[in-house]
Amino acid sequence: MPVADVKRDLASNRMIFDVRRDPAKYTGFTEKFEDLMEEYGLSEDERKAFRDLDIKRLGELGVHPYFLPQVSRLFHGGAYNHNNSPSAQAYGKSVVEGKGKTR
Amino acid sequence: MAEIVFATGLSHAPGLTGWLDQAPEHEQKSLTDGFNRLGDLLRASKPDVIIGIANDHVLNMPLHDLHDFCVGTAQNWSGPAEWFRDWVNVAPYSVAGDAGVAKTLFEGLSARGFHTTSKSDLLFDDNWSVPLKYLTPDYDIPLVPIHMNCVVPPVPSPQHCYDFGLALREIAENDLPAGMRVAIMGTGGLSHDPGGPKYFDVDEEFDRWFLALLEQGDPGNVLRECTMEKMVAAGDGGTSELIAWIAAMGAVGTRPAHTICYEPSVALRCGMGCIYWDMEKETANV
Repeated sequence: MPVADVKRDLASNRMIFDVRRDPAKYTGFTEKFEDLMEEYGLSEDERKAFRDLDIKRLGELGVHPYFLPQVSRLFHGGAYNHNNSPSAQAYGKSVVEGKGKTR
Repeated sequence: MAEIVFATGLSHAPGLTGWLDQAPEHEQKSLTDGFNRLGDLLRASKPDVIIGIANDHVLNMPLHDLHDFCVGTAQNWSGPAEWFRDWVNVAPYSVAGDAGVAKTLFEGLSARGFHTTSKSDLLFDDNWSVPLKYLTPDYDIPLVPIHMNCVVPPVPSPQHCYDFGLALREIAENDLPAGMRVAIMGTGGLSHDPGGPKYFDVDEEFDRWFLALLEQGDPGNVLRECTMEKMVAAGDGGTSELIAWIAAMGAVGTRPAHTICYEPSVALRCGMGCIYWDMEKETANV
């Protein structure tokens, strides 16, 4: 999805903005993202995309593109983020190859 | 009257510090040598303060409360923000700010109508952490960070960013302390597409064209040729960070840029390079 089509008020965008800034939110994210999705009031479509780690779908729903690789890093980690790292590979599979769901 | 003694544009993509060993050896050497040389040149100009201009990466200015520019007003900064630390692979650092310079810039920019806010609690990611590691490895030159909105439409136009740079120079020359030596650092780009379909691609043709354009030393031509549309076409998610370089260009006048290094680094997922403008020489007649 082009940057121009981002949905500024999307609940996912508010959640991701805050998560990267707050250790209480990003620490153990994979165990607490259901609670966070509830807290921020994500739609069922957004929740399903997070559960499927469907980064492509998150983009289609209006998540800011810059956040999309960061979503992959929240689940797979950000260290040593080269092209074959788990987070880059998941992004590539979902968005670049267009396969959507990565789990 | 303060003096602008150095100006540069450089990439800040995190691969440069985070996974440089994954790049081909010639890229590693070219970029390491080039960025180190840029650091040598910057430090040799003996700046009292660096005014930095870079993408906020939607880290401090939320989508629902954006400004074009945000001046960092703290007297001390630290980075990288914790969540980004292992990603950029830069050890925690502290660097002085300059609250007085920041206040003068904020007031001067606001008075001139630029859509500007200020914050004293900015989080730093790769935008400053990567450049500072190479340019000021001892973190001994105060930084006044100016974050900008490069990726959430409406993004300030290249012309507006150039005018912003002109204003920075005007404020520096008229309102900053006499004798103060100022370096301008615009960081971001070159072509890359974080969050887009060209995530693993680099647009080498665009990058080399852009660098050659800056080397002409004709800001009017840069503004005519380097449209936002061309930047977006070269990588929607990040190439528009080059408006930070265009802002720096606004502060230097009609001087030609000198390219120190450029590598179309697929391994780093970014066209990586750096330039500087020689502030010692007279401006060109273009």
